[in-house]
Amino acid sequence: MVDSGKKAALEAIRSQLGGKVVSGTEFLQQRERNDACLPTHFPGLDEALGGGLPRGQLTEMIGSSVSSGSGLVMAELLALARRERRYVILLDVGRGFTPWSFSDRDLEVLLWVGCDNAQMAIEALDVATRDENFSLFLVDLRDSEAADWKSVRSSQWYRILGQMRERETAAVLFSPAPVTAASKVRVEVAVPMPLASLNENRAELVRQGKFRRTHFSSNQAPGRRSYRGEALQAG
Amino acid sequence: MPRLPSSLSRANHYAVVWCADFRLQAVVRLSNRGIPVALIDDSKRQSVVLSCNPVAAHAGVYEGIPTVQALARCPDLSIKQPSAASEMAAERTLLELSLNWVPLIEETEQGMLTLDLSSQPEMHWDDSARSLFSRLDSAGLDVVVGMGETPSLARIAAQVAQERGMRLWHLAPGNRLDLLEALPVTVAEISSGLVGKLHLWGVESLGAFARLRRETIASRLGEEGVELWLQLTGRLQRPLRPASLEQLFEEHYDFEHEVREREPVLFIFHRFIERLTARLSGTGRAATAVHLLLTFADGSCYGKRLTLPEPTLDEEILFRVGSGHLETLELKSEISSVRLRLEPSDLIASQQTLFGAGLKNRHHYEETLKRLRQIVGSDRVGSPRPKDSHRPDRFELVPLSAEIDEPSHQGALVVEESRLPYTSGGVSSGAPGAGPATVAPPIVGPTFRRYTRRIVAEVQFRDAKPVRLDSSRIKGIVTNAYGPWQNGGEWWHEGKSWSRTEWDLEIMKQGLFRLVGTEGEWIVEGYYD
Repeated sequence: MVDSGKKAALEAIRSQLGGKVVSGTEFLQQRERNDACLPTHFPGLDEALGGGLPRGQLTEMIGSSVSSGSGLVMAELLALARRERRYVILLDVGRGFTPWSFSDRDLEVLLWVGCDNAQMAIEALDVATRDENFSLFLVDLRDSEAADWKSVRSSQWYRILGQMRERETAAVLFSPAPVTAASKVRVEVAVPMPLASLNENRAELVRQGKFRRTHFSSNQAPGRRSYRGEALQAG
Repeated sequence: MPRLPSSLSRANHYAVVWCADFRLQAVVRLSNRGIPVALIDDSKRQSVVLSCNPVAAHAGVYEGIPTVQALARCPDLSIKQPSAASEMAAERTLLELSLNWVPLIEETEQGMLTLDLSSQPEMHWDDSARSLFSRLDSAGLDVVVGMGETPSLARIAAQVAQERGMRLWHLAPGNRLDLLEALPVTVAEISSGLVGKLHLWGVESLGAFARLRRETIASRLGEEGVELWLQLTGRLQRPLRPASLEQLFEEHYDFEHEVREREPVLFIFHRFIERLTARLSGTGRAATAVHLLLTFADGSCYGKRLTLPEPTLDEEILFRVGSGHLETLELKSEISSVRLRLEPSDLIASQQTLFGAGLKNRHHYEETLKRLRQIVGSDRVGSPRPKDSHRPDRFELVPLSAEIDEPSHQGALVVEESRLPYTSGGVSSGAPGAGPATVAPPIVGPTFRRYTRRIVAEVQFRDAKPVRLDSSRIKGIVTNAYGPWQNGGEWWHEGKSWSRTEWDLEIMKQGLFRLVGTEGEWIVEGYYD
């Protein structure tokens, strides 16, 4: 029988530590979740993703318009990777990446690969996903046209998926529209972005964002805008 | 030579491992010892025998005899020529196997090593020597071992062992003079003049010489006599010159027939890698680079040092590095020999910290980089860093750090401090001379992405503020604007100066954009996302 005084003292210590100490059951549950996916620690985004970025899968972040907040999600994923001390590869189609938009500390874990088009990015991704040093792959297709990524054969996507499953890595495609049917999760990003947001904390902006998980119906080709949404999940 | 006090010299002990007729042994060590073999010198007008094995000597062959005559005396005589590669391989074997005995070894001369036995208890010396004999026998090398208080005495002991047909002879300090008594003065390597003088004096043995008074020797026999006396009395010490272990990690092969194809070279290469990694592993080191030297039939050479991203002993990686390079070579002539050396490095230098995070496999990372560069171009892969410039479109690519350090609180504070409040209107203090933090857009807020194409825009202003923007890509009413921000630099370099006026715009139902006024026109530089 546990002494009630000791139990109360334990609870008090736990509350003081602010959730840093978890019970064994909580730890195991957390570990199971982390084994299956990489949590982003943004409740709205994680909920839409089903717990986090799925390992061994492609995830699409769709920003259907300019200033929808895809770049913010990318920056926060990079910051998360820095905190967790993981290396990230960014395949930048169009080479519009601007390093001063990111913290120097976060850039330390980033390997940038400038690509001319989606086909080149996929070839590079095919090589990169074979490397066990990297656990997260970001493919920036925001400035790419749908016709560009349509030229990528589906077999290439599935080969990359196989490599990612083998190493349990995650890849995120940032695009204005759905890219490939090989993606397991597709999330539409909408972060309110008035001019005043230039002064606001990034993480706070992402928390204010709306993330909606979307699906293709099987007979729709990727690249078209007609896809149906699931329940809207406000952050 | 430095002389040490006799009390100190007694603490040391040395062994000399001597492989007599080394050049001959190096050539014939892996062949049948029962056949007569002679090493000849073909460089002179008349070919002569340099040395021969006991079987050939028994048939009447001796050093200096013309080869033709030697063949007449011994028709079955196997004629061999000296081989630098075989000698080098035999030297490596001798050194490598001797290293199993003690770590401090001097290569005194070709085929002769001097070992410092002070690191091993005396009770193990004989066992270690026998173990060395056994291993060297397997390698086809016949050696003798002499032991003594000083390197010189150990060498004399080895010579005695060779002359008496013994494998091991110990010139023990306790009865040194008695043992020397039985040795003729010719055992010591002294000039014939000194031998003659000693003979006239009636000094026939080294023991008798050692019993003479030092002053007498100094006044009558000079420096050579004194040095011999000091050697024999164990008073002449010298420090050993440790053998360079680097030479252990080299292999060389001469093709009997020159080869044009790569396959035979790769086969040899693989064999070398196996041997060299085993040797490296034995010394607790790893390879940090591969040195490859090819000699061609036309006399030309090709050498390359292939650096590894981190020290390794992985045979597959080392082979892949070398073979990958070989395949890129254009062979203009047949290959006559191949030489391979592994550059050793201390393993401890590449150890990661216990809780460190970094590249799991640097070799794989380097290969990935190489392949990525082949796909996108060498100038488009790297870890980006903003350049130390006010110009916002400048950045450089640096190699990715192999270690990721702990994200420190201090670092986080620095970032927070650089996140300046971004207020509307006014002129930025980002003019030349101001701190870069005031020029750089904030790290707070959305990220900026640059348009790769130049998008020229027409902008309507009201009250010095943009109200409408028209371009090929973006058109709309400006609902809110921050700016103007004046920026410029490099005015001190003629022809390189630049200046720009920046506005951040919110365009109705479009998004956030950056407008830049430069060289008399307005350009939509990119968007915030």
